[in-house]
Amino acid sequence: MTELPDFWRTEVWHPLSVHFPIAILLLGSLFLFAALFFKTEFWDPMARVLLVLGTLGLWVAIYTGDLAESIVSRQICDPTVLKTHETNAYLAGWIFSAVSGLILIEYFGFLRQFRKLWKIAIILLSVAGSGTLAYTGHLGATLVYQQAAGVYTPTEDCMEFTDENL
Amino acid sequence: MTKATFHSSVISLLIAAVFALGFIACGGSTDVVDSGTYNGKVKKVEAEKTEIYVTLDDGKTLELYFTEETSLTQNGQDVEFSTLEKDQKVEVTVEKVGKRLDPISVKIME
Repeated sequence: MTELPDFWRTEVWHPLSVHFPIAILLLGSLFLFAALFFKTEFWDPMARVLLVLGTLGLWVAIYTGDLAESIVSRQICDPTVLKTHETNAYLAGWIFSAVSGLILIEYFGFLRQFRKLWKIAIILLSVAGSGTLAYTGHLGATLVYQQAAGVYTPTEDCMEFTDENL
Repeated sequence: MTKATFHSSVISLLIAAVFALGFIACGGSTDVVDSGTYNGKVKKVEAEKTEIYVTLDDGKTLELYFTEETSLTQNGQDVEFSTLEKDQKVEVTVEKVGKRLDPISVKIME
């Protein structure tokens, strides 16, 4: 008799952890742009906090993705998509780590004479990072919705969902 | 060099360095080949994932995740996965399923 698999499987930790950094980093990048046009004291500090927190979350998501990879690579039909997804995830991770590094360097008052240069670099890297992150997310979505990566497919007669099996 | 040129050079270098680091960190691309038997060298062993990368004699790189059906032998004897090491010569038989390569057998040739 087919039984429902445990929900808290190793490969499920990745989708649970990946959406927060995507939202936080894209919002942080957006706020960085908003700070160029709106000169209130809200946008720029908020953008920096979001970008640093999002970067930490992104490395957690990369770690859980690495755990999921070893399981779903043996199941999906085109692991090359997974490889590209992984490559772009690491790239986004390093780009946003550079952004966070620059933010922290500036916050602790180092290299104040290059403040304008730092600002331009942070903005350019955030744009590049957001693009890479969006593409990585798109690839992740194709893995799930085209190849059912990490997804349990119910049996045709749904027997595992009968009362005695739940 | 003007201040503006210096600044744009520094920004360009920084961005290039970040991209280069990202590509280096992720380990490069892999290839898909038809079902068959191939000779090559072990490029990398990931023991915790029971996974190996094999560089074929024609330069292609295969990423192989061992399954329960994969046989690993040396001198005709079954051996543990921990026997695999970087730079060992291997003969791999793979089955292409979609674009996934399932290793049927891996023979350590030395």
